[in-house]
Amino acid sequence: MRHHPGDDILLAYASGVSDEATGLVIATHLAFCAQCRDAVSLMEKIGGGLLDALPPAPLAETAFAATMARLDSAPPFARPARTASRDGTPEPLRSYLGGDLSSVRWRRMGPRLAYLPLLRRGGTSAKLLRGSPGTEVGAHTHRGLELTLVLKGGFTDVTGNYGPGDLQVADGSLRHSPIADPGEDCINLAVTTASLKFENFIQKIAGPIFGF
Amino acid sequence: MTGEAAELNALLARVATLRDRAAFAALFAHFAPRIKSYLMRQGAAPALAEDLAQEAMLNLWRKAHLFDSSKASAGTWLFTIARNLRIDVLRKEKRPELDAADFAPEAEPDPGDGMMLAAGEIRLREALKILPPDQMRIVELSFFADKPHSQIAAELDIPLGTVKSRLRLAMARLRAALGDRP
Repeated sequence: MRHHPGDDILLAYASGVSDEATGLVIATHLAFCAQCRDAVSLMEKIGGGLLDALPPAPLAETAFAATMARLDSAPPFARPARTASRDGTPEPLRSYLGGDLSSVRWRRMGPRLAYLPLLRRGGTSAKLLRGSPGTEVGAHTHRGLELTLVLKGGFTDVTGNYGPGDLQVADGSLRHSPIADPGEDCINLAVTTASLKFENFIQKIAGPIFGF
Repeated sequence: MTGEAAELNALLARVATLRDRAAFAALFAHFAPRIKSYLMRQGAAPALAEDLAQEAMLNLWRKAHLFDSSKASAGTWLFTIARNLRIDVLRKEKRPELDAADFAPEAEPDPGDGMMLAAGEIRLREALKILPPDQMRIVELSFFADKPHSQIAAELDIPLGTVKSRLRLAMARLRAALGDRP
């Protein structure tokens, strides 16, 4: 793995600032990447240190007794039963897909591209994208931030080559036209905070229809 | 501080193994007012922050058996509980979470005697105390302001690049203190 989110993006996830769609992409990258898991674990420890150092805000006198009175009706938490993945699809992606990557019901978008919307909150959306080998997405720039995590296969653009687990962070300063690598389908999990700006006429019209 | 953190871990282990109410009461006295303080900094009104602090402590009671004192301090664990409650209740979103079983063999947490607190985390807290003020400000805002870094930069009237470089410097110091990367 060569491409990781920066500390600022990891910190937004660790501190709870990230929106849910961005959190989904970051957490799924973490499932691939021990180095970034360590970074997030460090950040949570910083959060613990900051919490412990905060000046206490006293609670009402009744609060303690009220909590104690609820203990007996608060049974130990039981983890939900874990369903094994047959193709290694990690959490949290598996929960959002409702199953494995290999059993996704794709929506076609032309002969070589397929997609599946996963989550939309305001202008931010997360979706799965699948391109057959050699597929070109078409030159585009970005109105907001685009995070792309490779799940299978790979793609190449002006910034380099991306394989499984790699995460690309693209902002307003990047113009690129990613091409799926030869060999196998490229499957990505992508989140955008605003729609993309395509340069090709057809894509300009088709983009908004498919929610890009 | 060293002794206090180990003591809190030991109290949490007593809650996990013995359902010890006196230990729970001591944890409540320490953490509930800090969690309330944390949530108020995130913009919660005092009454809501107080309700959620109690909810967080109830979560501690219910989940104590999942706490692994070899991985983190009680304070860090409580931070993640309070953070997730905030996302859940204040923002009405889910927090996408990893499942450790996807990349590590399933291991039952061992509450042990609570004395296993990693020395690294104690060094980390010492390093946090002596962070240069301009770096500390960015770290604190990152955790408490609930705002993206672009907005933090705008409010402090400094370039986004400066925010990011201060953050990078702070992270490098703290990472070195924890002993992840010498």
